[in-house]
Amino acid sequence: MSLLEAPGTQPAVEAADLATEALDLGYDGTRVVHALDLRLPPGRVTAIVGPNGCGKSTLLGALARVHGPQGGAVLLDGRDLATLRPRDAARRIGLLPQQADAPDGLTIRDLVRYGRHPHQGLLRQWSPEDAAAVHRALTAADLLELADRPLDTLSGGQRQRAWIAMVVAQETAVVLLDEPTSALDLGHQLEVLDLVHDLAAQGRTVVLVLHDLSTACRHADHLVAMCEGRVVAEGPPADVVTPGLVRELYGVESVVLRDPTSGTPVVCPVRRVGTR
Amino acid sequence: MDDRLALRARSRRETAQGTPAPPRRLARGLAWGTAALAATVLASLLFGAGEVGPGRALAVLAGVGDDDARFAVLQLRVPRTVVAVAVGTALGVAGAVLQTAARNPLAEPGLLGVSAGASFAVVLVIASGAGAAALGPWVAVLGAGAGCLLALGAARLRGTGDDPVRLVLAGAALSALLGAATSIVLLLDQRTADEVRFWTVGSVAGRDLGTLSQVGPVLAAGLAIALLAARPLSALALGDTVAQGLGHRPARARGLAMAAVALLVGGSVAAAGPIAFVGLVVPFLARALVGPDLRRVLAVAVLLGPAVVLAADVASRLLVRPYEMPLGVVTALIGAPVLVAVVRSTRMPSL
Amino acid sequence: MTAAAARPAPPRPAAPPAPPGTWRLAHRDRSLLVDRRAATAAAVLAVLVAATVAVGLALGTASVPLNRTLPAAFGVGEARDVLLVQQLRLPRIAAGLAVGAALGVSGVLLQTLARNRLATPDTVGLNDGATAFATASVVAVSTSITPSAFALVGSATAAALALGLAGGAGRRGYRFLVVGLGVGAALGAVTQLMLARAPIDEANQAFPWSVGSLNSRSATSVTVLAVGLAVALPVAVVLGRRLRLLRLADAVVTGLGSRVARVRLAVIGTAVVTAGLAVATAGPLGLVALLAPEIARKAAGPRVVPVVGAALAGALVVLLADLLGRTVAAPLELPAGLVTAVVGGPYLLWLLLTTRTRRMP
Repeated sequence: MSLLEAPGTQPAVEAADLATEALDLGYDGTRVVHALDLRLPPGRVTAIVGPNGCGKSTLLGALARVHGPQGGAVLLDGRDLATLRPRDAARRIGLLPQQADAPDGLTIRDLVRYGRHPHQGLLRQWSPEDAAAVHRALTAADLLELADRPLDTLSGGQRQRAWIAMVVAQETAVVLLDEPTSALDLGHQLEVLDLVHDLAAQGRTVVLVLHDLSTACRHADHLVAMCEGRVVAEGPPADVVTPGLVRELYGVESVVLRDPTSGTPVVCPVRRVGTR
Repeated sequence: MDDRLALRARSRRETAQGTPAPPRRLARGLAWGTAALAATVLASLLFGAGEVGPGRALAVLAGVGDDDARFAVLQLRVPRTVVAVAVGTALGVAGAVLQTAARNPLAEPGLLGVSAGASFAVVLVIASGAGAAALGPWVAVLGAGAGCLLALGAARLRGTGDDPVRLVLAGAALSALLGAATSIVLLLDQRTADEVRFWTVGSVAGRDLGTLSQVGPVLAAGLAIALLAARPLSALALGDTVAQGLGHRPARARGLAMAAVALLVGGSVAAAGPIAFVGLVVPFLARALVGPDLRRVLAVAVLLGPAVVLAADVASRLLVRPYEMPLGVVTALIGAPVLVAVVRSTRMPSL
Repeated sequence: MTAAAARPAPPRPAAPPAPPGTWRLAHRDRSLLVDRRAATAAAVLAVLVAATVAVGLALGTASVPLNRTLPAAFGVGEARDVLLVQQLRLPRIAAGLAVGAALGVSGVLLQTLARNRLATPDTVGLNDGATAFATASVVAVSTSITPSAFALVGSATAAALALGLAGGAGRRGYRFLVVGLGVGAALGAVTQLMLARAPIDEANQAFPWSVGSLNSRSATSVTVLAVGLAVALPVAVVLGRRLRLLRLADAVVTGLGSRVARVRLAVIGTAVVTAGLAVATAGPLGLVALLAPEIARKAAGPRVVPVVGAALAGALVVLLADLLGRTVAAPLELPAGLVTAVVGGPYLLWLLLTTRTRRMP
């Protein structure tokens, strides 16, 4: 206990500035993202929204070096991400992709330990920092009591929290989460989103891809709306989300209300454009 | 990744619109099949590993020709061709039926261990004292049936169809197991080894029409059941739940399919030994010609099956002249690339 | 807060708590983490291998009492014992050890790489490639270049073909598997073709490769295999640590800063070398590469990729199969490859029958 609460073991998170510059992305010949210039506000929660196939997951993958750009660059504190050693980049940027699968029988603690990989080496397999970081991540995700349970015995929300804890243990300045709340019920969604808020409160830059516009409005400081590989709107949710944007993104007529508790926009779809 | 999927779905829709209407496709498929069959039958009669070349063989077919050539063509090549046609028909149809029943484009009697089951049964019975000559095709049929049940059971065929590869691996395992068991029996029992040596490799050489008179009824029965099962089986393409909702009985259809496959494969193994990959190649070609409907596939497979076996047989005579190589080796060389092609096709075609 | 301030600053413990189930060996800021269960499993397997070696040296057409076996292995004792044990059985058992270890390592590497425990050098065609090329070196090529080199080229060819045609090992490795199966079938047919074309003597000489037996080993191939293992095994152990990570999805692994493509390449290279050299020595011993990693995984638990365990289990399987083949139907000798196929086949079927298809190793 004393070790883990000892001074100097708090996550040393320095804000990171992640941006893209004329970024082109695509798979074998087809462009998915076109000439994208984007800056992700440091220390805030950014949500990327848009219709299926708009390139939002692809963009997130590019921010985490999963796909290389076809043109342009991803810049981390002004440096081209592609010039960083993978291990160094992984100490600054953590990614949780969609549908992450783990081998059977692995426990939560085993999974979270994987997050320490970029900080370890062949002859540095387990350091005091590793122990502390895993402990902190488990605490943050409220999984300390469950730590030695196998993943396949957990509920969907617990499992998702375990995966996020893995990324948290990586102790990166940037955390990228691809649809962390899909397939979760309302309560579990909030568990995960609360954890996301805590991460941002520690000074991390958090980027989420979200499906649901109202959830994104409620939980993000900054919204990036994408359509067909381009950013169509960007800014604080309250300024950005309008019936016009919803029509442009999804082809749906809607009414945008204010959430009475938080004041953030709530989107009520009415009908598809062109139908009655 | 959803971007890529969307793109793929779009391109698939586009190609679907560009294909000719079904009746025309069927007519075209039948025309191709007939042409291929005619060409291969002719080739099988004309070419051989021995000295009788196409010219002399042609003379025999025209009603003239010398005695040597007459003997080679009429006594050797005609029976061989007839057996190859029977075996090819059986294997092609068995493959098509099995693939539809398993809803799996990779299901193939040779790959699934059905043929290995038939071989093992025959070897076992001979080793326990029966003479190869006295043995009817029923032992092979029973072995094929057992192999069929084992492989399909291992892959939990019923209803799922979601995992085409599992079935193939189960079959590969079963084949390896039965093959090794067969080898051990042969190793331990020299008499059996001598009796079945000609037979375990798979060949239509040296078979006479007597073989066919024994096996013929079995193959005919299998063919009849296959045709009977075609309609209910093609209804299973949408999945068991939907088929049941439409008033079909999936279990019964599968039972019929299994019986047909056991009869067809058992009969052909009894006649020619195990010949792999024919049941994969034929339905693959047939589907490419006329689309996935089982009834149309069967119509074309009846023509293409013999054509493929005959083509492979002719190749087996010519590739290593003056020797002949086992037919099964040639079919494997043809079949393996098809297997790769099936798996590589952007999406596993679901049946 | 005040209470905490009153106490002196807590002394920094020398070693941080190792995660449960592990031993931490540390010196300054160097540290190694050893999984307890995996280490215990490896130790137990090593003892079993040693026992099998002892029994294998003692048993045979003429048995040597166990207490005389060990001295005889070192050339001490009656001339007859020394001849039997040191001259006849020891080389065979050493070859079995090396072949089994190589196949076990190759299997565990490929399975983890493809994320599918059905992917082994036999199922993806590496063995068939090595067999085809080794056969070619005996049958088709008149100059006798050592079959080992050819087998290596063969397994590398098969791997390149299977991976190239499948477009990589993929998420669940299934496409890779079936393409490998096809490549293997084609190469197997090529082997048959060469045997059919070859003069009978050369065909007979090449035949042992196609069934798998320790009888057919050549001294050169065993030496080459031993050298190869001496390099490949340490590499595999290091790669095993990386492979733990590779069991997760590619995007996760990339996010954690591992160079996926590079690790994959190294893994495939190691698997190809071990499988090729093993086949050059003993032919395609069926299913060893499937059974050994399975045994090792059961014993070592889910936390690790048990490279050492798989090597030991592979040696154990091959030695037991060879022992069985030599003794069960004596004086007739069953090739070890047939024994492993008969034992491994049902196991593979059982595996397919009982496991869910989803997540592998």
